[in-house]
Amino acid sequence: MQLLTPLGLLGALLAIPIILLYMLRLRRREVVIPSTLLWQQVVRDREANTPWQRLRRNLLLFLQLAILAALVLALARPFQIVPTVGAGRIAILLDASASMNATDSADGSRFDEARRIAHQIVDERAAGDVITLLRVGDAPEVLIPYSADSAQLHDAIDAALPGFGSADWNAALTLAAAGGGGAADLDVLILSDGGGVLRGDAAQSGGAALTLPAIPGDLRYIPVGRDDANLAITALAVAALPGEAPQLFAQFVNNGSADADVVIDLRVDDRLVAAFNATLLAGTPYTWTRENLPESFTTLRVGLTLPAGSGEVDHLAVDNAAWAVSSGQGARRALLMTDGNLFLEQGLRSLPGVSVSLGDPARGLPADAYDLYVFDNFVPEALPEGDLLFINPPASTALFAVGAVSTQTSGARVRRDDPRMTFVDFSGVNILQFRQVTADWAEPLITVTGGPLLLAGEVNERQVAILTFDLRDSDLPLQIQYPILLSALIEWFTPQRLVSAGESVRVQSPVTIIPGAAADRVQVIAPDGRTRDYTPTGMPLIYADTAAPGVYRVESFSGAAPDQTADFVVNLFAPEESAIAPAAAITVGNAEITQAVEVEVGQREYWDVLALAALLLLLIEWVAYHRRLRAPTLGATVMRRAARSA
Amino acid sequence: MSSPLFDEKTRRKLEQLTLMASRVRAGAIKGERRSTKRGVSIEFADYRDYAPGDDLRRVDWNVYARLDRPLTKLFEDEEDLAVHLILDASASMDYPPRDGEGADPAAHKFDYARRLIAGLGTVALTTNDRLTISAVGGGAAHFGPARGRPYGARMLQFLTGVRPGGQVDFNAALRNYALQARRPGLCLIVSDLFAPAGILDGLNALAGRGYEVGVIHLLSPEEIEPPLSGDLRLVDSETGEVQEVSLDGSMRELYMRRLEAWRDELRADCQKRGVAFIPVTTSAPWEKVILYDLRRLGLVK
Repeated sequence: MQLLTPLGLLGALLAIPIILLYMLRLRRREVVIPSTLLWQQVVRDREANTPWQRLRRNLLLFLQLAILAALVLALARPFQIVPTVGAGRIAILLDASASMNATDSADGSRFDEARRIAHQIVDERAAGDVITLLRVGDAPEVLIPYSADSAQLHDAIDAALPGFGSADWNAALTLAAAGGGGAADLDVLILSDGGGVLRGDAAQSGGAALTLPAIPGDLRYIPVGRDDANLAITALAVAALPGEAPQLFAQFVNNGSADADVVIDLRVDDRLVAAFNATLLAGTPYTWTRENLPESFTTLRVGLTLPAGSGEVDHLAVDNAAWAVSSGQGARRALLMTDGNLFLEQGLRSLPGVSVSLGDPARGLPADAYDLYVFDNFVPEALPEGDLLFINPPASTALFAVGAVSTQTSGARVRRDDPRMTFVDFSGVNILQFRQVTADWAEPLITVTGGPLLLAGEVNERQVAILTFDLRDSDLPLQIQYPILLSALIEWFTPQRLVSAGESVRVQSPVTIIPGAAADRVQVIAPDGRTRDYTPTGMPLIYADTAAPGVYRVESFSGAAPDQTADFVVNLFAPEESAIAPAAAITVGNAEITQAVEVEVGQREYWDVLALAALLLLLIEWVAYHRRLRAPTLGATVMRRAARSA
Repeated sequence: MSSPLFDEKTRRKLEQLTLMASRVRAGAIKGERRSTKRGVSIEFADYRDYAPGDDLRRVDWNVYARLDRPLTKLFEDEEDLAVHLILDASASMDYPPRDGEGADPAAHKFDYARRLIAGLGTVALTTNDRLTISAVGGGAAHFGPARGRPYGARMLQFLTGVRPGGQVDFNAALRNYALQARRPGLCLIVSDLFAPAGILDGLNALAGRGYEVGVIHLLSPEEIEPPLSGDLRLVDSETGEVQEVSLDGSMRELYMRRLEAWRDELRADCQKRGVAFIPVTTSAPWEKVILYDLRRLGLVK
């Protein structure tokens, strides 16, 4: 044991004034009494005539001297030389990826173990060493810049939390190197399980190869974690062929080294639909498909659990569930009135965001209301409320007049300046004939010599488009321009979906929320029930708080009630994070880094223990002062014991 | 002292009492008490054989006729008693402070002592005894000798005028008193006895001159069980001497034990000299001292 600041021991001289204060006579209250005759006799043996009094057995004095001793020793900063992994400028990189949530560590999770090691490094650093702490998640962040303040460093370590995404080591190492400022004594300590791109075979398994930025000092790896047992859902998709019920595809992986019996369950809109036992072979993906899912579901969840009483373990829980939303969720309902037009039917069904129903022109319009009515070679007697798409209308209506059939179909011109026609090219489309239709409210978007082929516009607060030729009289359905044109028209009819997200969003990936023009508030409800409100500004909102897997609900309000609702799901789906086997060595660039050995010299200081002891003694001294406690004497103790035994 | 020393009812009770001394000294004037000597009063005492020279008027002729033997009648003699009351008027008697917190005015030592002296003086004057009152200490004063009830008012006036203060050397004061007094008698001393030199030499001097002495030792409850605590600087009211004391439970207990031992020593010393020792606490009614304590000791009848 050595002292870092031995001069601090000079503080022991403070014991002299403390003792002197006890020897000095007290400032006494003066009281006049008839005679001091008896008092003189009583205190004769205790009294001295000098200004000092004899030091008596006094618990308070003892306690105060003990407090002083503890404080002086703390001030002298006693320390012990201990081996450690870093010295000088130390950058601690805490892996906060999803695999660090694995619970195969004695400290709880791997991240807890990493935090404990970080605390230990802070405690054992030598005098003058400075430490910075980086949390390496999807976006690495500096939790505390280079500091020698142990309290701040400990606070920063305690405040760090693991994430559910991947770790961007490239950015983290660049950040650490930049913070090092070219110092030669820089030690970069990676506290990680070696998962993700740190693994040597990352490049082979699809991960990005790590290019090592120029780091002036040493790069050291401190592995955490022990076991590889983890069962994971690595993929989940729901898709529907046109005209068929949706079907599900899921993939499960047993990353452990032993086969595992599991229970797989499927819940559709919180209702258990299927549950079965399966054996996941170690290292072999297991796929499961399920057809004939209900057409009108909102969300579904696939879960993976170990049977009750199973001896197997699964260290990482975050990848044991996956969610999906219906691709038709939030779609506009369209009614196709046709005698039979497979091109049109398939074309509409293939478009996302549109739910197509078929109607028979012979039976007339159904009573149900639809967002969009598509009339193919048919005109109803009374036009319904809603947007309208006429294809080769046979007769005039209140909105337009149908003239003679024209065959002058050459010289097709498309209005390129219209956003609806940006990607449409009609130069290669051949049309046999078309009806000459006139509507003064509509804009002709595609015209040929004989008249317009496509008119569109807004009338009576609804959107109306007219395609003046029969699809079967053209080769349009066989060309690439057909889905482009249909998509452009439907996009015009159908307002933008509230959430612009794919079937599944990866953890920590941003989601774009596009509120309607009338929306005055947007609320996002996270899987844990937390809500967050936003006020639309006319621009799309970027929502990035997708750290937790699960179903997120977005509600758009114009007034008190939500007028538009959409769900999106966040899934882990990161095979490199689900493969939690700790790596003994990591590969950074071309270098393989094995577990760091304690080659540096650190100092374990004990001032904090001493300061705590001083605080405790201070507490006891306070109690002793107020309770007037006295130190027990040997004589009194012997007498008491004698009396007890008697 | 603003209030009268005692009320009429107490005075009437006191007038029925008589101060007694086991060794009554022959008074110069006829008193109201029987003497051990035979005298010329009308109270028959005894017979004795006639001796030549006896007054023939005292021969009981009826007995001579019956027994044929001359017997002379003896009669009680009556004499007075010299009563000496010594009041300690030193500063230590001015306690507890009259303006002190929670102080009981009736328990003030000097007022208590004055009432006691006034009561005893009233008894003495009522029984036609020769009364002398002497205040010793800073407020030294002298009253008497006086005899008879008419002096009662003057006595009370004297006591009202006495003020406590200064120191007292009891040994010197009592020695002088013993030398100066013409006629020894019953001497009652009322004091707290807080005198560094003690009182024994003074008592010896009085006893040597033939006084019959009683010491009424007066202490207030605050002196017996001091209501003090903490770190104190005690100042002697007479000498101004200072004694520093850290007063806690154990120290208070030690003091009380010391006080008890001191009283026991005083009692033992007094008993050795045939001096009556009456410890009194001022919390007790002062009449009780005369009507009960002194009567129990035979000093009052």
